[in-house]
Amino acid sequence: MATASELRPRPAGLDALGAAAVASVAAALLLVFFVAREADVTMGGQLQRIFYFHVPSAWIAYLSFAIVFLASIAYLRTGAGRWDLLAHAAAEIGIVFTTLVLITGPIWARPVWGTWWQWDARLTSTLVLWLTYIGYLFLRSLASDEATVGRLAAVVGIVGFLDVPIVHFSVQWWRTLHPSGPTVANPTTGSGLGTPELTAFFASLLAFTLLFCWLLSLRLRIGRLAQRVELEEIERAAAETR
Amino acid sequence: MTKTMWLAAKDLRIEMRARDTLAPMLGFAATVALVLAFALPEASSAGDDVVSYVQAGFMWVTVLFAGLIGFGRTFEVERAEGALDSLLLVPVDRSALFVSKALSNLAFIVVLETVLLPLSALLFAYDLGGSWGALVAVVALVDVGFVAVGTLYAALAAQTRSRELLLPLLALPALIPVFIAALELTADLLLGAGFDALAARGWFGILVAFDVVFVTAGAVLFDAVLD
Repeated sequence: MATASELRPRPAGLDALGAAAVASVAAALLLVFFVAREADVTMGGQLQRIFYFHVPSAWIAYLSFAIVFLASIAYLRTGAGRWDLLAHAAAEIGIVFTTLVLITGPIWARPVWGTWWQWDARLTSTLVLWLTYIGYLFLRSLASDEATVGRLAAVVGIVGFLDVPIVHFSVQWWRTLHPSGPTVANPTTGSGLGTPELTAFFASLLAFTLLFCWLLSLRLRIGRLAQRVELEEIERAAAETR
Repeated sequence: MTKTMWLAAKDLRIEMRARDTLAPMLGFAATVALVLAFALPEASSAGDDVVSYVQAGFMWVTVLFAGLIGFGRTFEVERAEGALDSLLLVPVDRSALFVSKALSNLAFIVVLETVLLPLSALLFAYDLGGSWGALVAVVALVDVGFVAVGTLYAALAAQTRSRELLLPLLALPALIPVFIAALELTADLLLGAGFDALAARGWFGILVAFDVVFVTAGAVLFDAVLD
């Protein structure tokens, strides 16, 4: 039976990754608030700085769900539990960042567009994405037995991702055909971003990516430890009945 | 009275611990709100457009929900009688099993629409003119994608607790493209557009793409769902 002393210590690489993530987030914050210049008032002025968090969050969300998709395929092909754990971990983090996208967007939109929400292509498809992976997590918690969780979740992880481009395209079309209300300006292009702004933006993108890698590593470690605890409990129970 | 309260408290305590009902209910509510958002025209648009839109929206929301209730029962007979294992022993490919289940669901939804559409036309005085043929084409394309997603997710939801809530929660967001296309095309028909005008708008492309993707996905992935 394994004892506490056999538990591996936290790998040094994980701490280094954490330190890198924290340092890059700090650097990105400095660049975003002190180096990037104030945006045009039509973009919300100071408020436009929220895009340095909004857009990287969206990038991390898409990255996460792409990982869910690939890990789900790998799980169905190999049946190896580590792929299932990776898909689960990435889905959880993806939902957190999609939620951030859905919160930071309206905060900017309310004063600039004059409305919290618009049924615009990008917003609507983000909401659909969010609901899809909320469904994915519900499925994981509601599957009737442990053995089926991975299989069923993998199917949703694949189907949900296949749907993303179709949803985006159809919603975009739907909106384009009904133009009314304020038009949605693309926040990152055509708004006169100079070198300081681009530097801040890419620094933020890098910081979010490092943060994502760190969170994912931590979540995978928690998952592996949880599996070990479960295994040890089964072994202990088996030893007691003997 | 005290006993009644005790019993109610027991149910709430179970829910607090298992969280099988309330959370999927909230998720379900969110997806329904999403679907209804598409079914309503924008506040700024006015005129005949609005009425056609709402009519098309009501019709498709009805089909969607009635369909999902039916699809939810796809594996109900097998599940209730414990015959799923026997069904899996039938010497056919799992994709053939998917197609067979999808076909029976398709039959249900076609019967439903055959009753619902003329009845709606009668009750709400739809003015379709000579566009019934175009409507049939739209309905056929919508049904294929709807049934493919519905059957796949029904098989999946059947293996969970709270399957009645999980099926719409999973299927509704996935069906958004089909729903939008159905709505747009039907509203156009109600506004008197002919088949050519309809085809020119390109929504058929989205429907065909959706049908191909999800029939293929269902056939390929059914094996993983029923293992």
